Amino acid sequence: MAYWLLYVDPGSGSYLIQVIIAAILGFLFYFKNLWWRIKAFFRKPGREEKEEKK
Amino acid sequence: MEDQGLFSQTGPGREGRKKMIPMIHPASFKDPAGFVFQKEGVWYRQVNKSGLPDMETLFQSGLYDSLVAARKLIPHQRIAENLTASKEWYATFLPEQLHRISYPYEWSFSQLKDAALLTLDLALLAIEKGMILKDATPFNVQFHEGRAVFIDLLSFTRYDASKPWVAYRQFCESFLFPLLLEKYLGWNARELLRTHLDGVPLTLTAKLLPWSSRLNPSVAMHVFLQQKMANGKNVSTEKATGFSKQKMTNLLLHLQSMIRGLTWKRKTTWSDYYTDTILDQAYLQEKEKVFLAMLSKIKGKTALDLGANDGYFSRLAARNGWQVVATDFDEACIDRLYGQIRTEKIQSILPLCIDISNPSPALGFAHRERDDFTQRMKSDLVLALALVHHLVIGKNIPLPRLADYFAELGPTLLIEFVPREDEKTKVLLTQKEDIYTNYTPSHFEQAFGERYDLIVKQAISGTHRVFYLFQRKEK
Repeated sequence: MAYWLLYVDPGSGSYLIQVIIAAILGFLFYFKNLWWRIKAFFRKPGREEKEEKK
Repeated sequence: MEDQGLFSQTGPGREGRKKMIPMIHPASFKDPAGFVFQKEGVWYRQVNKSGLPDMETLFQSGLYDSLVAARKLIPHQRIAENLTASKEWYATFLPEQLHRISYPYEWSFSQLKDAALLTLDLALLAIEKGMILKDATPFNVQFHEGRAVFIDLLSFTRYDASKPWVAYRQFCESFLFPLLLEKYLGWNARELLRTHLDGVPLTLTAKLLPWSSRLNPSVAMHVFLQQKMANGKNVSTEKATGFSKQKMTNLLLHLQSMIRGLTWKRKTTWSDYYTDTILDQAYLQEKEKVFLAMLSKIKGKTALDLGANDGYFSRLAARNGWQVVATDFDEACIDRLYGQIRTEKIQSILPLCIDISNPSPALGFAHRERDDFTQRMKSDLVLALALVHHLVIGKNIPLPRLADYFAELGPTLLIEFVPREDEKTKVLLTQKEDIYTNYTPSHFEQAFGERYDLIVKQAISGTHRVFYLFQRKEK
């Protein structure tokens, strides 16, 4: 076990919750990106700059 | 390592030995990688041999330089001498010395929020350089020259990307949960940090937060889901696998945006004392004139403003070259003053939430980890403007006791006496039986005369109020 683990008690279940939260966040970021790509696909070429400024 | 009170000017006790032998700070025992000590009145940090690999990474990766350049970490100078004659010695560092030490239970909402954001910022920057924070406690942050700065070199350790953040629970309990409690309960959660030095426990937070807070997905995850996990059976702390740098970054960024979005708004009777009460401009101008005239008669560097309110007089003192600690029991006042200090980049005022009728006690193991307020805040000058009537009539503190305590805080006292004829005092007396027969100018002068010599006395024209400048009688 790494040396630093001995210094601060990570707290019961705190690793598992981080894995779960990171998974949820990863899931959300994935769909957020997907949504932006879909939006970008349907965006009319002329309006692109205007959208970016927003 | 936890860094409470590490650079305070007055180490507890052992005055005689302090000059010759290095004195290890009594709070500096938690991390075996090193400690903080004082020698000849100067604070140093020793890094032990076991802290060597982390220290080398910190400097060689360029992380130290970039953090100091961004003023996020206090600058340290390496000393090539083993000042403690310890066998474990690897390196000695001389940090830039802090003027004052303050603790999270004395900070306002925005101060704790800034300390939290700084901690997350450091964790994110550290990850980029192959390091991580091994702890996340507000005691590693201090307010120095108007802003939050990290003071602990030994918190940085090499990063193992396969593991979640070891300090996540600690971060939640000592930063996120108190901020959430303040937001949702609209109440001074920093007071909970006084009793819970390691942070407000997860279970307590989950019990105190209102049901409606569960509707916020971030709160639901970091508090209620975490609580469920903590209660779960067979939860091994080391078992979690499959973490990555990307996941860690997402987690830290999410905490950052969550905390950035937390706001706290509370209006109190005091936060507009000078702007919209009967105390008009003419009164304020007169008071300012008398104040500045008295200030010009005093020599010194440090001032302690008790009952600073919106910090008007703290600012005047700061503009005249004083290092000021501005205290008030009203968190809304202190929070607003802190906001102004940040925007106007004022370096010489430290705002703190202090109830002078119940100032911070000495805390921690053997009462030696965190010094009490009085010990830390002794100043050349004590300011007590529009305060006496609150303490005497509001809190029933006798005038001689008040004189004793103010004399303990500093040798010079600039005090405003607000007599019973004053509107503000009358308001205080409407709700109470008038048992304060001794609350008169002559008794005030007599009580303070026991402790102090009077230098100047000046009435504020158009009011019943009087300013006094006192010099403590030295025994």
